[in-house]
Amino acid sequence: MTDRSDHSRATWRQSLQGWLWVAPALLFLVIFVYGPALTNIRFSLFSFSAMSLDWDFVGLNNYLRLWSDPKFTTALTNNAVYAVISVTCQVGIALVLAAVLEARIFPDFSANLFRTALFLPSILPVVVVGLVWQLLLTPTTGLIDQILWETGLASWSRAWLGEPDTAIFAVIFVSQWQWTGYIMALFMVAIRAVPRDLYEAMEIDGASGVQQFWHITVPGVRETILIVTIITILGSLKVFDIVWVMTAGGPNHSSEVLGTMMYRAAFRDDMIGYSSTIATVIFFIALTIGLVQIKLQKDR
Amino acid sequence: MKHLLAVTALATGILASLPGLAQDKTVVSFLHKFPEPENMAYFDAAVAEFEAANPTIDIVMEAVADEPYKDKIRVLMASDQVPDIYFSWSGEFGRKFAREGRTLDLTEALKGPEWQGRFAAASLEPFQFEGKQFGIPVNVDSKYMIYNKAIFEKHGLSVPTTFAEFIALNDALLAAGEVPIAYGNQAPWAATHYIGDLFAKMVPDEVRQADYQLLAPADQLYTHPGYVEALALYKSFGDKGYFNSGANAISHQQARGAFIAGRSAMVYLELVEFYMLADTPVAEQGWGFFPLPPMEGAAGRNDLLTGAPDGFLISAKTEHPEEALAFLNFLTSPEQAAKYVSTTGMTSAVIGSVTEETTTPETLAGLKALEDAAGMALWLDTDMDTASANVILAAGQGLLSGDETPEAVMEKVRAAAKETLAQR
Repeated sequence: MTDRSDHSRATWRQSLQGWLWVAPALLFLVIFVYGPALTNIRFSLFSFSAMSLDWDFVGLNNYLRLWSDPKFTTALTNNAVYAVISVTCQVGIALVLAAVLEARIFPDFSANLFRTALFLPSILPVVVVGLVWQLLLTPTTGLIDQILWETGLASWSRAWLGEPDTAIFAVIFVSQWQWTGYIMALFMVAIRAVPRDLYEAMEIDGASGVQQFWHITVPGVRETILIVTIITILGSLKVFDIVWVMTAGGPNHSSEVLGTMMYRAAFRDDMIGYSSTIATVIFFIALTIGLVQIKLQKDR
Repeated sequence: MKHLLAVTALATGILASLPGLAQDKTVVSFLHKFPEPENMAYFDAAVAEFEAANPTIDIVMEAVADEPYKDKIRVLMASDQVPDIYFSWSGEFGRKFAREGRTLDLTEALKGPEWQGRFAAASLEPFQFEGKQFGIPVNVDSKYMIYNKAIFEKHGLSVPTTFAEFIALNDALLAAGEVPIAYGNQAPWAATHYIGDLFAKMVPDEVRQADYQLLAPADQLYTHPGYVEALALYKSFGDKGYFNSGANAISHQQARGAFIAGRSAMVYLELVEFYMLADTPVAEQGWGFFPLPPMEGAAGRNDLLTGAPDGFLISAKTEHPEEALAFLNFLTSPEQAAKYVSTTGMTSAVIGSVTEETTTPETLAGLKALEDAAGMALWLDTDMDTASANVILAAGQGLLSGDETPEAVMEKVRAAAKETLAQR
């Protein structure tokens, strides 16, 4: 009995110590993450503007309004397209690039040059990237348009950021240009952790590079693939800066994403409650993705 | 060690006494949206001069750029941390503050002798709400079509005096292979300057005012056919090619650059942008300006100029109203206003401050045209209620890209206006 009591006391003490160690971080999370998230959900049940200190309780009306708002459908679709293209490029293409650069196909100098060139855009601030690409994509005087004209592809020339059909795709393209190299660098680190013996064994068995990629590289970096996929999807869901800088959600809301819609509702339209509703929806979508990630990791 | 302790004690003593020193002064917070170097040069000097003359007042100034200002002031309002003095556009943007009781009523204060004759009535009126003065104008601005004299002369064209002549001018330029108007509508406020001017010309003034301020009955809001006609006219400018291609993908600054470089015959600029044309290629070729010409037989007013004053408001909750007012009195004194004009290249709402000595002949002529106008059609996006203005802002792009029709736009405006009216 005494032994059990001592053991229990020791466990409790250990547990307390553990709690004390994580307390500052936990407190930080509660104050700056969970608290605001819960407050935001409460805000979403009210209608109020930034100018006024009066709040009207509207229940779920903001959610009903959001559901029937055509801009919400556009934003959600754009976020989904953003995610699909980002996963394809930043996971699929980045993995292939990493595998090629790690396969010693190119001489060291060329491989380093490619790696640096591909990684470089990711160290630039998003605002700078957005503004530079905005200039490059300018109709008539922009470099892209000039190249199209000079190479006899004038019929392809268009106002990439100014037409509803192309604006969001132009923004997504720039985002891929910036981040594919970064994800590629992550994959290169993961590939280096795969034992070289496996590649050598397959080479002796006469396996081609593609076979090595599918049977060693992909299974060897599957944890990284999962994490990178989740990060990319979450990033696509939360995207705001590059869209705001390049198109501000225009023309005519065609490149609106949930982030810009939320920002616009709060800081342009003075509808803080409605903006909180959009934020809550983003929060729950992100939460669902996070839970899926935890489930997938547990299943392994 | 002893030395270290002594130094630490001394430093602590000095630091402890600093708040005491600061507390002797009345701190007046001042937030504006003119962070550009030439503007800050003026405001820094003005604050220093005022503080030197009033040693008991400490003006704590903060400046953020145009777009971030719209965010910052809303955050400050929502968190009830309103600066003592803050900037506001005129029209609905300012009326929102007044409507919610966030501004000090300045009606009585401005009856003081030192304020008499300082501002034109047209500058004061946009800062009034329900008969009360809630703001003080600081500068005035208006919109003009700027033209390249060399291009006009090359094709034997002259300044239009009617809207029909303006249309013919655009057709002639187009036929001559020129880009008639450089237009950057990436930030869609640019469209509202055209649309606002056309609304003023094509919709009876009393109807337009009642609509903008949501004073008309809900079922009559924005029903005048002039609105649809104005939007159709704006759309036709894009469809006919009067604007450069890809206007929705070009910023206003890029469009201005294209005009300066001689790639277009005209550009629609604000009076406060005139100084930017000095020492540029277009200055060598020569440039002139004219307001969008009167429209024959239109239902609205042809004697208005699109433009507005900007101004400063005092927080309703300020603890130092007298000091805040004293600073604004100083800032808008004729001497300071003259310095403001000569240092910044901007205009001023203070009568007599814009002279040959303080500004360029073009800016002076632009201001003269503004004074000669019967009044101002305020910037549309700051004059309408926010929800309706947002529809027009997006429509300015949608009409050009062919995704919107004038009828559908006005249907959306009516819905937005009705909803806002129901919430008031």
